[in-house]
Amino acid sequence: MFDLSPVYDLMLRLMPFETLEPRFMRQALLALALLAPMTAAMGVQVVNFRMAFFADAISHSAFAGVAMGLILSVDPGWSMAVFGVVVGLAIVAAQRRSALSSDTVIGVFFAAVVAFGLAVVSRDRNVARDMQRFLYGDILSIRDGEVVFLCFLFVALMAFQALAYNRLLYVGLNPALAQTHRVRVAVHQYLYAGLISLVVVFAVQAMGVLLVTAMLIVPGAAARNLARSAGAMFWWSIMIGLVSAVAGLFISAQDWARTATGATIILVAFGFFLISALAAWLRQGQPR
Amino acid sequence: MAVAFENVTVSVGGTVILDKVTASAPLRGSTAIVGPNGAGKTTLLLALLGQVRYQGAIRVAAGAGGGPARVGYVPQRFPFDRGMPLTVTEFLVMGQQRRPLWLGVRKSQRERARKLLASVKAEALENRPLGALSGGEMQRALLALALQQEPDLLILDEPAAGVDARGGVIFCELLESLRASCGFTQIMVSHDLATVTHHATHVIALNRRVIAEGPPAETLTRETLTALFGLHMGLVDRDAMPGRQTACDCRRREAPHV
Repeated sequence: MFDLSPVYDLMLRLMPFETLEPRFMRQALLALALLAPMTAAMGVQVVNFRMAFFADAISHSAFAGVAMGLILSVDPGWSMAVFGVVVGLAIVAAQRRSALSSDTVIGVFFAAVVAFGLAVVSRDRNVARDMQRFLYGDILSIRDGEVVFLCFLFVALMAFQALAYNRLLYVGLNPALAQTHRVRVAVHQYLYAGLISLVVVFAVQAMGVLLVTAMLIVPGAAARNLARSAGAMFWWSIMIGLVSAVAGLFISAQDWARTATGATIILVAFGFFLISALAAWLRQGQPR
Repeated sequence: MAVAFENVTVSVGGTVILDKVTASAPLRGSTAIVGPNGAGKTTLLLALLGQVRYQGAIRVAAGAGGGPARVGYVPQRFPFDRGMPLTVTEFLVMGQQRRPLWLGVRKSQRERARKLLASVKAEALENRPLGALSGGEMQRALLALALQQEPDLLILDEPAAGVDARGGVIFCELLESLRASCGFTQIMVSHDLATVTHHATHVIALNRRVIAEGPPAETLTRETLTALFGLHMGLVDRDAMPGRQTACDCRRREAPHV
């Protein structure tokens, strides 16, 4: 459908590293260069408004999404995306209407989607083996079609962050106050939930269910330690997310390392977090 | 009338919180809603803000421009993550500026935020992190945020809570002068009767239903207060206080105009 070969050739010419010689490495690098800034940007809101559990629920809906694909015999990659978005929007709708606390609502959905996924998967042993892929993820096996989709998602998501960053801050701080002061709260909540669900579902394929939340929260948490303003936090988060992803990919491909890419990326990001925590600790006590 | 509540009833899970409340708030006046804990004061405000479902009607007069009234709201509690990196200027700009904060604050917006802070006498807070503000400072930042709406209707929930007595007096006087210069209608919930007597122009005494309504001196009678709070409740007698001062004596300054 799309031939990305010229892009990959250009990448090799610009970055003539031995590590990047296999095509799948350049594919993975491109995918990560798109995915990491997206998760890091959305992570700013996830960290500030304590939405880690929400992201976790979406990532765990991956099983059910794949199972749905198998039942309806459609490409599990796409059924996963659609299912993830539906679950994300359903959680927001339930939160807005229910008197239950937010984490209870998420917990209920979390349990339901995991149980549904396991129920379907348990019927078929072959499917169970396929599921391993989603537990640990594999960025090195990403396909061109998915990379192209990531490009579109990147543009949409960054446009959203540009248009809605300030108002999301308002809504996140206090929805009732934002509503009274004429911010369209529901629109922002649903759009944010839909987009973060898409990002999470794609990140699951790269990082695996177990580590996807880390892609969202670790750069954001480190950024929060370093930034002194809401504007700066965005850039810190993107920078840490991107550098961790690229460094993690390169390190994981070295002969001395030979580690899983997703896990290596998160370890590098955690290193940044430790440094940021030290910086925050040193700054404490100083007048701000 | 700026706001008219007509037979407003709110019930949650079978418990009646507000029972056929009919009351009003005069245009450009300062209306105080008083009553004991659990009287439904905050619920009445939330109904006005459209945050809870109610039966009956709430009529709000059109705004200065002829459109729907613009509302500024100062909540009693503003729970937020105090470790969040967010400056007071960003806090005041987030609802106004289109350009994302990660591309910086526009000069014109910064100037506007500065003016707003000056109007609530909090110029020094401009570059402070929001999480480092004290209770009184936070209240001013929230008031500045509400004033940014150029409100026809300013709604405050317990403005004197969480602030010491002196801070409460200063805040009351600030509101009084802002109301005179901006011409908004003010509605507040308060449990501080001294504040109410000397600051409000209109009182709604509420305990699930309206016990009494009218100017403070006529409304807050011994009978009303007993009905509201039980026995032994009365206002502080000004003559008994040193220098005839009470906690929030804004009316004293107004006296020559009367």
